[in-house]
Parts: sequence; C-alpha cells; structure tokens
Amino acid sequence: MSAAAPHGANLVAWLRSRRAGLTLAAPALFVLIFLYAAPLAHLLAGSFRGPAGFTLEAYTKVLGDAYGRSLVWNSLRLGLITTGLTLIVGYPAAFGLAMSRGVLRSLFLASLFLPLAASVIAKAFAWTILLRSHGLVNDALIFLHLTAKPIRMIFTQTSLIVGAANIFLPFMILPIYAVVAQIDPRLTEAAATLGCSPARAFLRVVLPLSAPGVVAGVALVFSLSVSAYVVPNLLMGENYPTLATTIAKAFLLIRDPALGAAAGAILMVIGLAVVVVSNRLGEQGGQGR
Amino acid sequence: MTPGEAVPAHVAVTGLSKRFGASTVLDRIDLAVARGALVTLLGPSGCGKTTLLRLIAGLATPDAGHVSIAGADVTRTPPHKRNVGVVFQNYALFPHLNVGGNVGFGLSGKGLGRATIAARIGRALDLVQMGKFRDRPVTALSGGQQQRVALARALAVEPSVLLFDEALSALDRHLRETMQVELRRLLKDLGATAVFVTHDQDEALTMSDKIAVMNAGHIEQFADPLSVYARPKTLFTMRFVGISSELRGKVSARSDGQVRVETRVGAVTAQGEQKVGASVVVATRPEHVRIGGVEDAGDNCAEGQIRQITFHGSRTRLSVDVAGVEFVVEIGGVNALPAAGQAVVLRWPAACSFAYADPSAAA
Repeated sequence: MSAAAPHGANLVAWLRSRRAGLTLAAPALFVLIFLYAAPLAHLLAGSFRGPAGFTLEAYTKVLGDAYGRSLVWNSLRLGLITTGLTLIVGYPAAFGLAMSRGVLRSLFLASLFLPLAASVIAKAFAWTILLRSHGLVNDALIFLHLTAKPIRMIFTQTSLIVGAANIFLPFMILPIYAVVAQIDPRLTEAAATLGCSPARAFLRVVLPLSAPGVVAGVALVFSLSVSAYVVPNLLMGENYPTLATTIAKAFLLIRDPALGAAAGAILMVIGLAVVVVSNRLGEQGGQGR
Repeated sequence: MTPGEAVPAHVAVTGLSKRFGASTVLDRIDLAVARGALVTLLGPSGCGKTTLLRLIAGLATPDAGHVSIAGADVTRTPPHKRNVGVVFQNYALFPHLNVGGNVGFGLSGKGLGRATIAARIGRALDLVQMGKFRDRPVTALSGGQQQRVALARALAVEPSVLLFDEALSALDRHLRETMQVELRRLLKDLGATAVFVTHDQDEALTMSDKIAVMNAGHIEQFADPLSVYARPKTLFTMRFVGISSELRGKVSARSDGQVRVETRVGAVTAQGEQKVGASVVVATRPEHVRIGGVEDAGDNCAEGQIRQITFHGSRTRLSVDVAGVEFVVEIGGVNALPAAGQAVVLRWPAACSFAYADPSAAA
C-alpha cells in the first residue's frame, strides 16, 4: 500500500476503487478488529501498567530472574523438541500417505483427521491413563517381564514430549503431504535418466521441492506446541511451568494480570518471529522456481 | 567387419513383453535401431509405444525379453547407469533450478571440474540456441523454450541414445513443425541415435529414418517413412499413416502379385497375394485418385457423386460417394474446382491400390 497510500481527497476515490474488496472483507475485518485486535491491544497495554502508571516491571519479572527465564526456555524447549520429533516421524509418513492409494490412503487420512475431532484435553488425559504407574504401558511391560516394577513415566519430560508429538503430529504431516503429493513423479525419473541414484535423486529433487511443506509444518507445530497449555499442564503439571501455564496462573490464581499479559506478549513475539522466518524461508524457496 | 555381416544394432530389443495386470501391453517385441538412426514408434494411444520407450530407458522392467544398448545387455540395469537421455512429455524440468541448473543437473557428481561443467552447460545451451537464458528460472520460459532446455539437459550428459516421449506434442502446430525440422538437423549433425514416441503421423514422416508402426502391443511395420506411407504392409498402417479410401470385395483372380477384386462398383485391381475367394479390403490414398481425365492402362475406375468439398490451402479435399462408400480425393490448385453434387468419374492406378484381408470378414 506504500505507493498507493491514500491522501485526503484521494481517500474517497481509493475506498471506492476497492469497494468490492472491502465489502467482501468487511465481516472478517469486523471480527478481527473487535474480537481480536482490540482485546490484544488492551492486553498489551495492560502488560505495561503498574500501580503508578507505565512500568516494565512485569517484563523484568519474567525476563529478569532465573525462574522467569526458565519459563521462556521451557516453552521454547517444548516447541523445539516437539517440532523436531514430529518432523522426523511426520516427513516419511507424509510420503507414505502420498504414495498410498485407495482404501489404505482413506485409512491413513482418517487416522490423521479423526484425532483432530477429539478434544486435546481428552487426548492428554488418555496419555495420563496410558502412562500412569498401573496404566496400559506399564502393565504391558510388566506382563512381558521387561520390568519388575512400574516405570515412572507420567509427569516426566518423556511423557510430555511423547504426548505433545502425538497430539501435534497431524499438523506436521498434512502440510508436507499437500506439497509432496504435488511433486511430479517424472522429475525423479528425469533425475534417474540423468545419472542420479534414487538416493541422490531424493536429495537433489524431492527434498528441495518438499521444503515449502516442511516450512509450513514446522511453523504450525512450533507455534502450536510453544504455546500449548493443556499438554504441559496435564502431562507434567507444576513440574514444567511454561509461559502458557504461567498466563493461566497469573490471571486465575495469583491475580497478577500484568504478569500474564507480559508472558502473553513474549509468547506473541516468539510466534511472530516464527511467522516472519517461515515467510522468509518460503520466499527463498519460491525464488529458485 | 566383413561384408555381409549384419551391422550390430545400437539399441536392440528382443522378445520384449510387458503386462500390466491382465492386459498385455507389449507382446514379444523385436526392434533394432542402427547407430545414428532416428527411429519413431508411431501408434494410437494405448498401443504400447510409451511403455516400450520406458523399457529402453529402464524406467520400467520387462516381464520377458532383453534390451541391449551399444552391445551390452542392460535389461537389469537401473536407469541411472544406462546413459540414456530422455526428453519427457511436458519436459519434466526441475522447477527449483534455473535453466543452467537444469542443464548441468546430470553433470555434477561425476568428478568433472566446475569449469568443465560450465563449458558443457554453455555448449548444450548453444546447440539449442538458448545460451542467453542460462540464468532464467525455467518456469518463466515458453513451451518451446522449455522444450529446448529439456533437450539441452538430455544432450549435456552425452548419452548413448536419446529418447523422446511425445516431446513435441505440447507445442502449437507452427512451432512443432519448425522444431521437427530443426531437431532432425541437430540430431543428424551430432550423429545421435534417437527413438521418438508419437501419435502424430506427420511428425513421424518428417523426422524419422525409420518408423515402427505399433498397434495393440506389437509392431505392424518397421520401415522407412516412404515405404510406410506409400506401401503399407497392413490395413492398420494404411489407415493410421494417412487417409485411406476403401472398397470391400472378394478376390476373383490372382497373378504376379496382383489380385482382381469384385466390389460393388465393379472389378478393381490391387497389389496383393490373397487367394481367390478371399474377402479383402482394397485401399488407396487420396492423392492417387483423379477426377475424370484420361484412362491409363491399369487404372481402376468408379463413378460417384461429390458430397462435400473442403479447402485445405494448398490442396482441396473432396468427399465422393461411390455406391455408398466414401472416397476421399485430394486435388491440388484452386482452378476448375468441381461443385458439390456433381457426378464424377474417379480413376486411380492399380499400382497404388492395396488389398488387405478384410478384418470384419475374418471373424
């Protein structure tokens, strides 16, 4: 809009020229401005508000001491490990999905979409049932004589990562699958006739062409898992405080809205950084085309 | 090599069969392509021509038979070790690489120096007159330019044999005809051995040293373009390579490679060796049929009525009703055109008429 920025009398003409577009966008604009942007601005303003007016106290509370920084680090750690794990599991799975046909493909897709219909709370609880001392996993291990006593799994970081990876996996597989399914199989054939072994053809053709899907999947899973509230709360509880759990605690328990707002603002900055970086990567991928 | 010894084929296919499920796509195909020859596999869609090309490239494996390239059996060799260049239908250029990256794709990882690779990319692009486009993204090119890049990419690896899968069919007609002539000249200059796949008989006639006409998984005729067009061995070839006007009848006499056939418009003479009493189809090409004029010795003759006249620029095509059978006649020039509805006498030489066993009577 920079070059066509409206000035004074031009504004009317500018609005008129875009009337169709503005009319179509109006409901969405209304929702975004009044139900999203306005409360967000209110929240951000609240993060700078103290008893004596403007203050950065809430931010120093979060970023200034070791505990506060551990919140940020815990959130980032959860996001990074979950993203890495879902990428390792999801990338080949996306290819399996793209190569499958008929009933098998329907089954694969159903196994991805059906869990999305279940509440994340239900899924997180399911994991606590599976992983508790006398849960399904421990009972099976004892039955198989792999362990004599139940292994402590629930409320460990392992359970947190396994649960988070399970819950966010579809958000990694689906964008990669959407891109991989579009790759022309003749490109690999062309690479083969040009002397590339299957492994080299994958590295030089399929991998770079699947990159946009990977970027989208990584951005989705990271932004979902870095801000996850239910998963760390149910699978780790107090042992793994994150920015998201702190927001809830600040508003609901300790009644410190400025702290909650600051934690929210930091989380939003992380989210925006992911959007900016993935956009940049997406553009780079597009330039080679 | 002693005289009389057969020149070993550069690409040889023997007893090659391929089935997909219950359907046999290729049925014991034999084909020999001489070094430096341009051979076209011509046939309708589903005749197995693309499958045959893929088997030569190694992109599919045969159920039976052998493929050899330059004297070596490559039947079980994976495509990346066959040293074949393939120009795909719609080109299959790598969208994430620019023109130079595409052309150089097959050169990296071979221990060639950067300078050597750059020089070979430049040479391949110059061959197809695309030198100026080296740094362009391939998605910004027109169809004809993409076609040239695909060719340069295949040429750059200096393959033993070049394979073209409907490589020109996506181009518009004018560009396609230009490319046919240009491509043939380039491949001849390079001394390349090439196999084309096409369903376009004009393309096959223009570009090939030899044409293999394919139908339902087998080769109907393998010969030079002139023979395929002017002396088709089978009714399928007669019909597929050009237009064919046909009369059905029974053989009444046979002598010296010619048969006399009784048809509903009277007796006609044609090239053929069928037995007396056999049901045959007598076929002829439109350009051999004359309207009126003087009867030469050995001419066949029939009377008919002009149904339709279509103008094709340098030629005019007449559709003539001969006792319920459509005869297609082509005449040159635009002077003294007959009119639709006019009764005419058609004459065509027996030497240009061919008798084939009638497929509908065989059952």
